[in-house]
Amino acid sequence: MKVKKLFQKTLFGVFSLFGFIGLSTSILCVYTVDTHLSEEYVSNSQDIAKTIADASVDILLNRDLSTLQSLIDQFVEIQGIRYIYVTNEAGEYLAHTFVPGIPEEILAGDPSNTETVDRNLPGMGDFVEVGSPILAGVAGAVHVGMDTDLIALKIQRAIGQQVYLISIVFVVGVFAAIWLVNLAARPVGDVLAYAVAVARDAGGEGEEAVDPRHRRVLERDDEAGQLARLFLHCLRNGGPGEAPSGAPSGAAS
Amino acid sequence: MATGLAGLAAGRVLGASAARGAGVTDTEFVLGMSAAFSGPSRGLGIELYRGASAFFEHVNGRDGVGGRRVALKTYDDGYQPDPSVKNTMTLMLEDEVFLLFGYVGTPTVTRVLPMLKKFQDRGMYLFFPFTGAQPQRQPPYGDFAFNLRASYAQETAGLVDNFVRVGRRRIAVFYQADAYGRSGWAGVRAALGRHGERIAGEASYRRGTQFTASMRPQVEILKAAEPDAVVCIGAYAACAGFARDAVDLGLRVPIANLSFVGSENLLKLLAEGRDDPREYTDLLVNSQVVPSYEDVSIPAVREYRDLMERYDPEPPGELVQEAYTPFPQSFVSLEGFLNAKLLVEVLSRLEEPPTRRGLEQAVFSVKDFDLGIGERVSFGPERRQGLQQVYYTVVDEGRFVTLDDWQKRFAI
Repeated sequence: MKVKKLFQKTLFGVFSLFGFIGLSTSILCVYTVDTHLSEEYVSNSQDIAKTIADASVDILLNRDLSTLQSLIDQFVEIQGIRYIYVTNEAGEYLAHTFVPGIPEEILAGDPSNTETVDRNLPGMGDFVEVGSPILAGVAGAVHVGMDTDLIALKIQRAIGQQVYLISIVFVVGVFAAIWLVNLAARPVGDVLAYAVAVARDAGGEGEEAVDPRHRRVLERDDEAGQLARLFLHCLRNGGPGEAPSGAPSGAAS
Repeated sequence: MATGLAGLAAGRVLGASAARGAGVTDTEFVLGMSAAFSGPSRGLGIELYRGASAFFEHVNGRDGVGGRRVALKTYDDGYQPDPSVKNTMTLMLEDEVFLLFGYVGTPTVTRVLPMLKKFQDRGMYLFFPFTGAQPQRQPPYGDFAFNLRASYAQETAGLVDNFVRVGRRRIAVFYQADAYGRSGWAGVRAALGRHGERIAGEASYRRGTQFTASMRPQVEILKAAEPDAVVCIGAYAACAGFARDAVDLGLRVPIANLSFVGSENLLKLLAEGRDDPREYTDLLVNSQVVPSYEDVSIPAVREYRDLMERYDPEPPGELVQEAYTPFPQSFVSLEGFLNAKLLVEVLSRLEEPPTRRGLEQAVFSVKDFDLGIGERVSFGPERRQGLQQVYYTVVDEGRFVTLDDWQKRFAI
């Protein structure tokens, strides 16, 4: 006989608990990954902008613009970086990676501003643009545009992997819970089956006539066996009384 | 992929006499070349190679340089920086050539120069690269290269000065989005600055763009700037595409190109399939760093034409996979020819036994050397560029000829 209600309640409890853990962990993961990866990308872009800015000082003062262009051409090969432009202190665009030309949105901006800004460039996409001053700004500034679509894709991929892992843990956890609840409920079911069988024969041929399969529970040395023996004792004595040997004292009191 | 010239055998190179420096044996000087032999700019590498080969074959046929043949080990970089760096590593460290010669392009050479500094203990020099950019003309890498041709700064300054002189002050720039384009852009900017002007408009294209690609966006950007002239800093495929679309879209102003463009290839693309291509070529003006190969009054031009006809050098077969029909003569092959001629002169001045360390002294010993083009060549510690003159050419009767009168041709 199955202990359906107990099983269902326990299973529902476990399912709810795992669901809550999974959902809250996923939300936390999404938030953490999104925040950290975005910050990391912006931070990396700022590092790159600063590296170019530091290198540009020497190039602008001692060398030529083709060297500067060569430098930014190498950095723009880094995945995620879509454009770089370098301006001088007068706001003139000295080197850039735009083709066929510098977008109007950028030309309309303030090239000396090195704060991080979000940009939407028609035909190119959405970008996070970071800047770094050259020689504290007196020699110009370097601006680096990171492709937010690529950042979003990376974040989605990272989040997807985490959610995938959590989902696997959730499914495995539910199946494990079902198995464990089943394992725990089976002795209780045996006791119940024994009690029902004895009750059916009460006033008849006595409990010895009960199906031996159900009687096996009396041989168990766990709580189920004690409960069955207590039930038998009560039945024989017509009600609760002295606890039989091996029965839990609490159960007889 | 590499190929050799004039029967070069690697085994013979490796068997060099211990008394000689790397890359030179008792019978050979081995030079290393990385250039564009594939892709949209392959015409530049092929023609430069052919011009140099004509002179080397001539010299080799006459007992070489002091009894040593000149062999050229070539690699294809497709005019791309990374393969160029890789080829240079191979030439320096594995092939151990005597010197590097005839590299093509600014983005490639710009990336190779730091390697020469990194391995400066080997004493490797880059001779006569096919680029007029500044990095190999000034510190910190100027000491590792010797240039023959005039610089882009000189070419662009000449173009701008002449345009301004004939009343064309609003000058726009169409350029390759890389170090080469920026070098020319900077030259135009500086030249205009000297006239109190600024670049009127600018548009760029990606390196490797084919002639078939549309240049409409670039033309529209420049058209909006209403320029009096456009200076193009690019290779022939893209510049021909730009000239085509400019005419088609009504941008009827003089279009200038630098020597690097490869004038004959540019003209060929613009003329192909047209009964009368003058509409597309009449407003072209190309600066050159060598005189016109049509001017047979110049001794070196006569020699060049003679040797090109006699040897008709084949492009390096293993490297040239795409169809290419060489030109009997071209500005690029003439430059390669003059490069080879001066290099042979330098090699002949090396003391025995020849070593890389002796190259600088041999170059600096070249004073007032007559290369046969009128302008004399001199080198020294503060002078690492042999020629200074810039020539201007326009299309007349389907070929580039010397421009004599800017006023008459381009005045507003």
